[in-house]
Amino acid sequence: MEMDPLEVFEIQMPGEDYGADKYREIIMDILQDLGLIRSIGRLYVYVNIDTPYFAVLGMIRGKQPPLRVRDVGDLVPTEGGYQITVEDEEHMASLIRVLWGAFGREKVEQPDRNVLVVLSDRSPEELVVADLETEFRRDLMDALVRIAPEGFRNRRNEMGKDGFFFLAAEETITPELIAEAKEKIGGMQNA
Amino acid sequence: MLDPVMFTGGVYKHDLVTELIEDLGGYLLQKNVTQSEVILLMLVPHQDMPVLQALTKELKGKLERAPLAGTEIAVVTPTLAIHHLPHPACDVAEYLRRNGAKSNMIGMGRGVAREIAQIDEYETALINEHDAVVFTFGNFADCILKKEHLYRTLTIPVIVTGGPEMKKEDLPYAFEYVANVGRIAHRSRKATEIGSLDNIIAAVGRALDSVRAQISKDPLTTTPPRVMEVVREQVPDVTASLSPLPIALNLNGLRIKLPFEEYHEAVEGVTFDEGVTLGEIAKVMPSRMKSYILVRILPTSETGFVV
Repeated sequence: MEMDPLEVFEIQMPGEDYGADKYREIIMDILQDLGLIRSIGRLYVYVNIDTPYFAVLGMIRGKQPPLRVRDVGDLVPTEGGYQITVEDEEHMASLIRVLWGAFGREKVEQPDRNVLVVLSDRSPEELVVADLETEFRRDLMDALVRIAPEGFRNRRNEMGKDGFFFLAAEETITPELIAEAKEKIGGMQNA
Repeated sequence: MLDPVMFTGGVYKHDLVTELIEDLGGYLLQKNVTQSEVILLMLVPHQDMPVLQALTKELKGKLERAPLAGTEIAVVTPTLAIHHLPHPACDVAEYLRRNGAKSNMIGMGRGVAREIAQIDEYETALINEHDAVVFTFGNFADCILKKEHLYRTLTIPVIVTGGPEMKKEDLPYAFEYVANVGRIAHRSRKATEIGSLDNIIAAVGRALDSVRAQISKDPLTTTPPRVMEVVREQVPDVTASLSPLPIALNLNGLRIKLPFEEYHEAVEGVTFDEGVTLGEIAKVMPSRMKSYILVRILPTSETGFVV
């Protein structure tokens, strides 16, 4: 499904207009801080302050492919192995860990801060350095916990393939509450 | 009449300012040295202000009025979690500090949520040691109304801040309510946000004035800055305290940052020029904050004299 970043972003908080405006700002700020805005296509937020509960339904834009060794650095064959030059050090730690796992510690050398040498005739090109999809979902979960008001400590989270549903409430979450929240958000989607 | 002012300037020759304050009969409340800059918080006799202004000009420093100097204000957040900190609570605390107050941030143990929020006896007593308190609440009108019980038992003026506009009569236990603060996830930088911070300062100023008016009906036996001076002289260990402000002033006393058990006798025994000891004109008791000493000066009606 093709979507623009945050092409739909709706908030409903019956009786709390000011809160709705402010929460729009808070959600934008937090998604921006965690670099998630581009990965979310649609977002519906419904808050009932009488019960009270806080529900979010979101659609995720596309799937992110796993990050491989060839994506994080320049790979050149050298004498007795391969040399990897890393420009962006963000994934350095996981890169070393993956190489250690695949070739063993004694086969991986680091002659310089951003240079790694693998002593093997097998190319490390296709090894997976980071699973961006899992990282994204972890960040998304973190963002939702940060966004929901802190007093709403009972949380329920449903992560699907291309969407998520998050519910936070002060009291115990019952199947009826989940059904009510989903119905309200369904109404927003169809409106 | 003493004017509260803040001097900001270079470290070089700043001792001229402190000496002048001493000569004029003013008080140096706090001295903060940050690398080559120094910030002095002082109380200066009103009629001598031109002298200090002239010296400040000569030293190329800056002299500002610090209306909240000599007071301690608590900034209370429902918890210490990321939802309430650092914005906007730190902005409020920092703004109070810039206006001369000593601000303490207090995160409540169980201040969250609408139905389960509560305050305990220790938190109440700790907040009551301050001159005024700012409660930072969120963006839901309903929650602000229902969290009233958190500050109902406090004896000091309470400034409540939150997002939505509220009617004063809906919050009878609050001294004042300041709107447009609420929960935000960024630093206060827009003009409207800074304006709200100014509103908080103004509200705190009015709250402190009401406390001052109350005290003036039955004046204290002596002033807190004077007690601070003699304690500094006669209990020199206080100057070795590692706290940024070893003696914090309140409107009706002070907090001395030394362990109570070891030092309370020395503090009670501090003698004024008139011959009375601090123990005779003030209550010296353990503070709820760490193991510090809390001094509460008795009113004239209890001691029958003024020193």
